[in-house]
Amino acid sequence: MTEPVVSVRDLVADLGREAEATRVLGGVSFAVGAGEIVALVGESGSGKSTIGKALQGLLPQDAVRHLSGSVRIDGTEVIGADPRTLRDVRRRLVRAVPQNPMGALNPTMTIGRQLAESGAARDDAETWLARTGLPDPRRILAAYPHRLSGGQRQRVMIAMAMVARPRLLIADEPTTALDVTVQAQILDLVASLRSEGTGVLFVTHDLGIAAGLANRILVCHRGQIVEDGPAAQVIRAPRAAYSRALLRARFDLSTDRSRPLPTAGTAEIAPWPPVAKGKSWALELYRVVKHFPAGPRGRWGRRQPVRVLDGIDLRIAAGECVALVGESGSGKSTLLRIAAGLETADAGDVSRSGSVPPQVVFQDAVGALTPWLPIGAQIGEGLPRDTRDTCIAEALREVGLDPALAAALPSELSGGQCQRACVARALIRKPSVLLCDEPISAMDVSLAAQVLNLLNDIRRRAGLGMLFVTHDLAAARLIADRIAVLDKGRLVEEGPSEEVVTSPRAAYTEQLLAAVPRLSREGLA
Amino acid sequence: MTGYLLRRALGFVLVLWMVTVIVFALQAIIPADPARAITGPAAPAETVERVRGQLGLNDPIPQQYVRFLGNLARGDLGTSVRTRQPVADDLRRYLPATLELVGAAMILGTALALVLALAQMLLARSGAVRMTMLAAGSVPIFLSAMLLIYLFWFSLDWLPGAGRIGIRRFEGPTGSMVIDGILLGRPDVVGSALAHLVLPALALALPLAVAVGRSLASALHDVLRQPYAETARGKGLPEYRVVLRHGLRNAASPPLSMLGLQLGLMFGNLLIVERTFAWPGLGLYMVQSLASSDLPAVLGVALTFGAVYILFNMAVEIVQTLADPRMKL
Repeated sequence: MTEPVVSVRDLVADLGREAEATRVLGGVSFAVGAGEIVALVGESGSGKSTIGKALQGLLPQDAVRHLSGSVRIDGTEVIGADPRTLRDVRRRLVRAVPQNPMGALNPTMTIGRQLAESGAARDDAETWLARTGLPDPRRILAAYPHRLSGGQRQRVMIAMAMVARPRLLIADEPTTALDVTVQAQILDLVASLRSEGTGVLFVTHDLGIAAGLANRILVCHRGQIVEDGPAAQVIRAPRAAYSRALLRARFDLSTDRSRPLPTAGTAEIAPWPPVAKGKSWALELYRVVKHFPAGPRGRWGRRQPVRVLDGIDLRIAAGECVALVGESGSGKSTLLRIAAGLETADAGDVSRSGSVPPQVVFQDAVGALTPWLPIGAQIGEGLPRDTRDTCIAEALREVGLDPALAAALPSELSGGQCQRACVARALIRKPSVLLCDEPISAMDVSLAAQVLNLLNDIRRRAGLGMLFVTHDLAAARLIADRIAVLDKGRLVEEGPSEEVVTSPRAAYTEQLLAAVPRLSREGLA
Repeated sequence: MTGYLLRRALGFVLVLWMVTVIVFALQAIIPADPARAITGPAAPAETVERVRGQLGLNDPIPQQYVRFLGNLARGDLGTSVRTRQPVADDLRRYLPATLELVGAAMILGTALALVLALAQMLLARSGAVRMTMLAAGSVPIFLSAMLLIYLFWFSLDWLPGAGRIGIRRFEGPTGSMVIDGILLGRPDVVGSALAHLVLPALALALPLAVAVGRSLASALHDVLRQPYAETARGKGLPEYRVVLRHGLRNAASPPLSMLGLQLGLMFGNLLIVERTFAWPGLGLYMVQSLASSDLPAVLGVALTFGAVYILFNMAVEIVQTLADPRMKL
């Protein structure tokens, strides 16, 4: 390896408000060479984002209780440097690409001015916008951010970072907020930066992405680097137990779907028992059409209607799980809301079996719980008083939570426990249909695997009809019997999961499949 | 834009119409008799009755109201009971002085709000700025007006404490002394008019500055936590540039709305301030008209205030739209 552009030695950071300080980084050491892509892999709370902020000197000042060690970027020491030096480091040496590009550009400033502020001459700005694959850079320079899509904004962010010719580029989960097809393009773009001689620190929770992109992989766990090695070696023969656990929890399009996913502590796993599918339909959607007022404004300021769902036919049998896969703006969440009765269709029919309306499990489990009510009270809301407590205890046990947690507030639970509580709240009404709106997309892999197992187990045991809305084909294939692919308000493909994944008929499905990151261990050898 | 202006024009007429209904209803409820006010307390009952007939006060209220609306459409607001002049003429005479005062108070208040908000942002964790704002916001206007007079006129004699100008017989085309002085090239007039403006404008500006300043400070507080502020810091920009270039424009909308709302409150304060500083504007006219239950005059002032309020808030909405490229009228 050439002279490293960044060398981090014994970086220790305690963060917290007032007296409560937690050791977020406990002696981190690593280096990034020029033109090298290093992936920093870890789950949420592992400290990986803190490392990125520390390298930029952008840790929130009032939260830093202790910071020691050394971060040298191109010979300049960052730890303990004065604000002026830090600004200079940020301007010349280290740039960052954010997790969510949607909010990262100033909405009231043109792209051109924001690039100029970043130190770009006009020609330079145009060149870099073109290099990131943006069509018509001149038009983009004059545009305001809201005219651009998420993928385009992330390209602008990358161009904005690269015009400064930094020695190090920190990309903190730059693709998690983007659609899968866009994600693949952005990853290609990051890979192409290698030739610029800029070192890239790519922060991610997904080993698959890391394996496909990076020269080296660092695995971060509880503020420590537990593994540091060439990407192929870390994937093929991980040394640390934690790396092995991360690899085992990971699922993709080739994971065994006949049995529950392996989670921590499980050795031998029995396959799923066959489901006795009901003969009746639990949920039927017939030619559902929905418009939203989102088009250009008319004379009186009213927006023209735009068709978001265009004649959707979808049927789910009792005990069957159907995954609805699509990218943002495809109309998949609207369809779920119509099935739930939260939204009414403009045309078409929705019929459900049973007297209990379908229950919904939302993406943001913590936000779906009222913060000041105990879990039990929220689960048992509206049940008859005499049997309420036993019902709550039973529902909590069913989702794998201790019944004693009924008295706890949502803030005392972890994110995974909150999602389990939400499932319990949905199940206690004994619905015939469960609607899941991206229930695992905000979760780390090991947690996502647990929740997938739980949902799969419950619908098999209770004979529930389940609609599983997701953008992730790998998760869809694991949980669902059938996959329906939604593109711009139309169902472009529908069929048995394995068939859709192995031999897709629609071009759009192929595109989605190609974009799913894979851990091809053979390819790395 | 055309649609927006059409909708707002419709709203404009609707609000003014509601003002006329309210004031007319008041007229029917208040036991004041304009005929008695015109003829004087010593006049015989027959005279009063004759005047009542002339004024049309014996007609049913709806008929009086329709007649009033018809006159209003022709620009006739009736005759003031107190000044015996057409109300429209009185309004034309006093409006420029009030517009000048309100304009000065708006500019001064906005400037103070900016200073307060930036002071609170940049002097982080300073309780002093918050305390100052709280104190300034809690002083009632009649007290602050009198304190200003006492301190800067009576005790220090730095600034004049009453009237619009210290020069006799000055008339200009616009009616605003400062602008007229500039137009006619009279620095003495401009100087004297500005000196007279300072204290009443400051009294009106204080509550405005506190309300708008707090709104701006909290909007800035949120904006500077947005990811794009972090992006700006990531480019190595110093904090003051992050605040000025990325903060202010994005935080402009809530304080601008607050500015529009504050104009309504300022009209109420205008009565006290113009009375205290002997400022010959609509507020003083209103105080005097109220004292002599001069309902046509009160109605005229209410309509004028209503119109100015709506126009100003329309301007605020347009400025908000210009500030945020995502918004469309």
